[in-house]
Amino acid sequence: MPINSALLRQTTRENVTLWGVLTAVQCLLVGVIGMTAPIAAAGIAYYNMLPGIFMGVYAITVGNKLISSQVDRGTLAYVLSNPVKRSTVIVTQVVFFAGSLLAMCTLSAVAHSLGAYFSTFGANSAEIQTIFKLNLGLFTLALSFAGIVFAASCLFNLSKYTIAVGGGIVCAFLLFPIMAMFGSKFAFLSNLTVVSLYKVGSIMASGTGWAWDLVILAAIGLVAFAAGGVAFVRRDLPL
Amino acid sequence: MGTAVGLAGELDTSSGDISAGATSLLPSAEAQPPIDHPVISVDGLTKDYGHGRGVFDVSFQVGKGEVFGFLGPNGAGKTTTIRHLMGFAAPQRGHTSILDMDCWKQSSRIIRQVGYLPGEIALPEGLTGMQFIRFMQGMRGYRDEERLNTLLDLFQLDPRGKTKRMSLGNKRKLAVVTAFMGDPDVLLLDEPSSGLDPIMQLRFIDFMRQEKSRGKTILLSSHMFSEVGAVCDRIAIIKDGRIVSTVRTDDIRHNESKTYHVGFGTLEDFQSFLSGRGPRITFADQEEKVIEVQIHDDDVNHLISRLAQCNVTRFQERKLTLEDYFLHFYTRDPQESTHESRH
Repeated sequence: MPINSALLRQTTRENVTLWGVLTAVQCLLVGVIGMTAPIAAAGIAYYNMLPGIFMGVYAITVGNKLISSQVDRGTLAYVLSNPVKRSTVIVTQVVFFAGSLLAMCTLSAVAHSLGAYFSTFGANSAEIQTIFKLNLGLFTLALSFAGIVFAASCLFNLSKYTIAVGGGIVCAFLLFPIMAMFGSKFAFLSNLTVVSLYKVGSIMASGTGWAWDLVILAAIGLVAFAAGGVAFVRRDLPL
Repeated sequence: MGTAVGLAGELDTSSGDISAGATSLLPSAEAQPPIDHPVISVDGLTKDYGHGRGVFDVSFQVGKGEVFGFLGPNGAGKTTTIRHLMGFAAPQRGHTSILDMDCWKQSSRIIRQVGYLPGEIALPEGLTGMQFIRFMQGMRGYRDEERLNTLLDLFQLDPRGKTKRMSLGNKRKLAVVTAFMGDPDVLLLDEPSSGLDPIMQLRFIDFMRQEKSRGKTILLSSHMFSEVGAVCDRIAIIKDGRIVSTVRTDDIRHNESKTYHVGFGTLEDFQSFLSGRGPRITFADQEEKVIEVQIHDDDVNHLISRLAQCNVTRFQERKLTLEDYFLHFYTRDPQESTHESRH
């Protein structure tokens, strides 16, 4: 796969602080929850709420920084003044984006498992599996957010439009399930958000129906990454 | 006779004029013969950004080892042209190529041979100068410590500090060092010395001369006459997105027509010279008893013998400079627009 290691290092350096802070907070929270609440309760109470927001914040901030903000500020001119194809730039940034989300969710799963393992309730292997499935679901949800913001980032020359469009869609997706709870009039909103595909209850129950939802979430992310990448490779850059 | 040039020779088209007479002494910008195997070729490049912005039917070629100047004020289309050469934008019409490779389709291959200095210095955040240099070396996959150190010494740059805290001049030096450190054969330099102090500007001009003598092909966009005049073999003047003239620098430097500024001691001499037959008079001021004449170098003896019969208080050659040549193309519009705004 064509990635540029120097660019990957630089991208990591630019984003590692935010990644570290969000991952640490996420791990701390799931660790504490794992120690204090049974996994079933933690699943419903926690995974339905906060991690999606963390992932949204990370996707919007980093998605914008990976392309759009660099076009906006002009720093991408230095990247592209080297013998590197635009498609290589895209693949490198996507590898970082998806990889950092995967690492974040894996660490979150490990922290939750450790918390649960050392809790007074203990944790059996089925429960540990559930924790990893919940975080796998979280990863695919994050991937869909990341794809949407990244596509916007590839399309717009100005950060403010990327934040408005990409960030706006992700925020709407996060808000709709909450608004849907305000009564039957708003119930339809839960059908308009990808967050509905991350079914915590279904993942914790037996059966494999949830897996298809996660495949759809991952596919949304990958298609958005690809569409953004194609648009970026073909368009004029005001550098 | 005003010249619109500041101390550093920087362009300011808002003031200054050139007499109608002096313009007729301009060397003719004849159609340039095509260059065999040009290194840089721009052919009918058009990109219309609307509202008159963009570039329109821009064509020029730069041969191997040539330094080609691209002169024009901000917003004339210099950066847009370079953006196309770097493959950042696709032409609406026309074609751009470097080393016979299409700039849009094969940009990453071309850039192996190209050093680029962007007009705007926007360095990535959070890096020290040295980290930025290492990043660029890593991206390029090429590292030559000896050349790097030579460049750092030459431009007296200490790259240890954070780029964010660097002065504009130091950021520019860093960009210059990174553009040249890979020792590329072709250089696209967009206003490379703006922001450098005068001493560094001179050093940079010397450095470009050296690079030229090493066979490097350089496209230099600038609005500084001193820089362009000192190093460029040919100069294209761009105005409102169109090339209005392409001229050899030597033709301006060794122009065989000259303007002489003559002051007379008496009104009689002034009037007798004015009424007599002889060289073409382009300017006369009876109050100051001053005239300006235009002659070919061959006629200078004739002029001197005529002036020998008069009481002359002043006799100066007024050289045609690149500024004069440039302003010939640029001073019409401000006057016209002023004229229009009065109505």
